[in-house]
Amino acid sequence: MSGLWRILAREAGLAWAGGGGAAGPTAFFLACITLGPLAIGAESETLVTVGPGIMGISALLAVLQFGERSFADDFFDGTLELYALSTVSLPVLAFAKVMGQAIATLWALPLIGALGSMMYGLGGSEILVVFCGLLSAIPALALVAGFASALSAGVRRGGLLISLIAIPMMIPVLVFAAGAGRAALDGDFDRAWATVLLTLAVSLGTSALMPFGIAAAMRSRLG
Amino acid sequence: MTDCALFSRTSPLLQCTVFALTSAWKLGDMPSMTNETASIPDLSDLEAQSLSVSGLALKRGDFILREDISFALNPGDALFLTGRNGSGKTTLLRTLAGFLPPAEGHIQLGKSSDPAELIAWLGHTDGLKPNETLRKSLRFWSGMAGQPGKVIMPVLKALDIGHLIDRPPARLSRGQQRRGAMARLAVMNRPFWLMDEPAGPLDRAGRDRLGKLVAWHRSRGGIVIAATHQDLDWAGAQRLELGGGL
Repeated sequence: MSGLWRILAREAGLAWAGGGGAAGPTAFFLACITLGPLAIGAESETLVTVGPGIMGISALLAVLQFGERSFADDFFDGTLELYALSTVSLPVLAFAKVMGQAIATLWALPLIGALGSMMYGLGGSEILVVFCGLLSAIPALALVAGFASALSAGVRRGGLLISLIAIPMMIPVLVFAAGAGRAALDGDFDRAWATVLLTLAVSLGTSALMPFGIAAAMRSRLG
Repeated sequence: MTDCALFSRTSPLLQCTVFALTSAWKLGDMPSMTNETASIPDLSDLEAQSLSVSGLALKRGDFILREDISFALNPGDALFLTGRNGSGKTTLLRTLAGFLPPAEGHIQLGKSSDPAELIAWLGHTDGLKPNETLRKSLRFWSGMAGQPGKVIMPVLKALDIGHLIDRPPARLSRGQQRRGAMARLAVMNRPFWLMDEPAGPLDRAGRDRLGKLVAWHRSRGGIVIAATHQDLDWAGAQRLELGGGL
């Protein structure tokens, strides 16, 4: 088993067992989408229109919550030093760590997103688009949250910093992921699937570049 | 009593047997301990490495903490870093590990181009996850260092925490956590051990065990550098006095 898989498995296990796994972000997501209709009103036409957007915003906020714990624990318990001295290079390690945590804690978000779309009255193929949009957005969202988390590790009240750093970087992902659902609502499925692919492309690009940013942030926290 | 309490989850019969065994074993504690450290098997030989530091200046933030630190260590050597609080012991260790860039001077750690892979680190925190059992965490770290998992139990026994292998650190005492972190150094099988106040939370028996483990590591050609305030009795260890704090 290579170092990357070891770290991915360890981080997934730690996030699953130690931090309640998917419970935190999932509960947050559920709260957001159930509060939506209470604030907006129960007209089914309005709810269908705002549905994909609410799913996108809720997912983004749920992922921010995931960032709060990600690297801060490593900083305080001394794991950061041990990781820095491991045989795996820091960018690879950062990628494996964030992905491991994301798999353990964020796996439920697309499912809840599909469920929420159903609640908001979207049709079958539109729900599928929302599901795929969220699924392809999660790697990018998680990596951006991980980057903000690594930068703010060890800072008291790091949560504020995480929101301020991460939210602007998450905007393109939100625009694409929610845009796919809106295009599907307009009946333009070609554009909808193209937008899902664009979301996936942003995720792939983030996967290629963001680990280097996270590694640099980790190094700066060691000093 | 404390021994029995540790096994409170097992059956009364087993409890008493274990109690009898540990009591009997404690009578002959010192000799058997040496045998245990000597019998840690299955670790591949350490490659002989040496360390030389010349004209090193330490930087903390914007100001220079210490200047002109020079020393050299050969396989089997141990070095104590001593000095008052704030004298730069931890900063020197962190600079040696590559976490901080040296302000001036040169560190030659081993022959490898990537010295990080030669270092086993024990900082002032233990690097344990509160909910990850010692078994899981030591398996992870020995695996990351390419070492077999079967060395874990002998090492834990040599540190007298073999019975705690399936406990999460959240339910261990500070001293037991520190012993668990020391086990990580041993199972990773790397030549340089850098330790920051290793004996801090340890009791006298724990310090003895630490001494034995360090002696075992040095007998295999390893190098140990420890920042410490305590009087540790390691045979033939050198001492680097960093002086007063700034």
